[in-house]
Amino acid sequence: MRNSLSRIKTLTGRNIKEILRDPLSLILMILLPLFMEILFYFIFHNLTSQFEMKYLAPGIVVFSQAFLALFTGQLISLDRASAFLTRLFVSKARPHEFILGYAAALVPVALVQSVLFFLIGGIIDPSIFGAGMIRGVLLSIVTSLFFIAVGILLGSVCGEKAIGGAASIIVIGQSILSGMWFPIDKLSEGFIFAMRCFPFKNATDLIQNVLNGVSDPADQFWTPLLIVLAYTAAVFIAAILCFKAKMKEK
Amino acid sequence: MTAIKITDLRKDYKDKAAVDGISLEIEEGELFSLLGVNGAGKTTTVKMLSTLTRPTGGDAFILGRSIITEPNKVKELVDLSMQETAVARNLTVEENVEFYARLNGLNKTETGEVMERVYRAFDLGAVKNKRAQKLSGGWQRKLSIALALISRPKVLFLDEPTLGLDVIARRELWKTISALKGGMTIILTTHYMEEAEALSDRIGVMKDGRLMFVGTKEELFAATGKQNVEDAFIEISAGGDLNA
Repeated sequence: MRNSLSRIKTLTGRNIKEILRDPLSLILMILLPLFMEILFYFIFHNLTSQFEMKYLAPGIVVFSQAFLALFTGQLISLDRASAFLTRLFVSKARPHEFILGYAAALVPVALVQSVLFFLIGGIIDPSIFGAGMIRGVLLSIVTSLFFIAVGILLGSVCGEKAIGGAASIIVIGQSILSGMWFPIDKLSEGFIFAMRCFPFKNATDLIQNVLNGVSDPADQFWTPLLIVLAYTAAVFIAAILCFKAKMKEK
Repeated sequence: MTAIKITDLRKDYKDKAAVDGISLEIEEGELFSLLGVNGAGKTTTVKMLSTLTRPTGGDAFILGRSIITEPNKVKELVDLSMQETAVARNLTVEENVEFYARLNGLNKTETGEVMERVYRAFDLGAVKNKRAQKLSGGWQRKLSIALALISRPKVLFLDEPTLGLDVIARRELWKTISALKGGMTIILTTHYMEEAEALSDRIGVMKDGRLMFVGTKEELFAATGKQNVEDAFIEISAGGDLNA
């Protein structure tokens, strides 16, 4: 058990360094969402409630997490392509340790994203500071696990050339299906129902609701949380199976 | 003492046998070269022996441990360097060594000792603060092989270690591999006949998944009537089974 934890810690440390030393990861995971948060607030917040900071900041937090899928997937697919993972498969590390090593490396990144975008949002609009923000930060770790799981799954099945395209579907999916960039009340009921079936809108709603106060816990908290958790569990199981299958292929 | 005992080992895929029932014994401290054209089954054999791929038939024993029933015990005895460079790209040489040492359960003191040993053996001290991706192909390959030694394996698999390197880097690596001889059992696969000739104690030639010849250079020359490994290899690969 102690050896296993030590190996997970070692794998996590290496994965954090690999991701953070890629300048593109900092640009896409931190700088781009930060730029969007500031720009969109000042341009649009007087035009539509969508861009008031109490909705925009949680939306940006979840949007930025979509890039976790990209960089997790990219790291795994590159490790596979370069035979780095093959080498590690001969070491004492076990499949679950690899997966935990990848996942644990991205959780601190998600935490930094969440704290940073909430703090900047709070500096711009201090009304969002409060206990809701702390709850938002904590729950954003839960929503980040969904995107990390997607990244592990994509990295296990996609080659290094395909991973960018595959992960961009998740980023686009988050943008369109979260409903954060446009008011959804003009959309058809069918489309809104479809949006509610996917985890993207539920993840965004969850963080927005806990930041702004929950009046109907079943509808505003438990339903979106359980949908996100169900998707996260399903994708994690698929990711573990695919990763193990790739190990066997080696 | 026997380091590796292979008995009727095979790997079947849907439409072909990648390894077609090979049997072989390799002694401790021996450097054994496995030759063969592309698709002959060399890499599949190495992958099975290092527990990366499960055989579909037969078995192999690494220092008495079965690759089928005791793969985790075998993992503690072996390490490998693949034909592709396998290093952490954004980590420095020092961080790569430290990472691999920690992953293999070495403590801080042992990691420090292993770093010194690796820097000395592979002359990596001068580039220890450079990120792996900034190193030349030759240095990356050196690092890749150095990482395989950190776990102090009893059996080391080198799958085409000099593939794609220029002639100077290749000769440098030969020196490094020669220095390892005797300290551990080494299985080397290669396409370079002069490499096998210069480094090996014994040579095995594979063709279509089968082991066509096993013996010393001299036995290879005698069996084929040729005077160098390349001509002898062509004779076997283009011709019939010479295995006695």
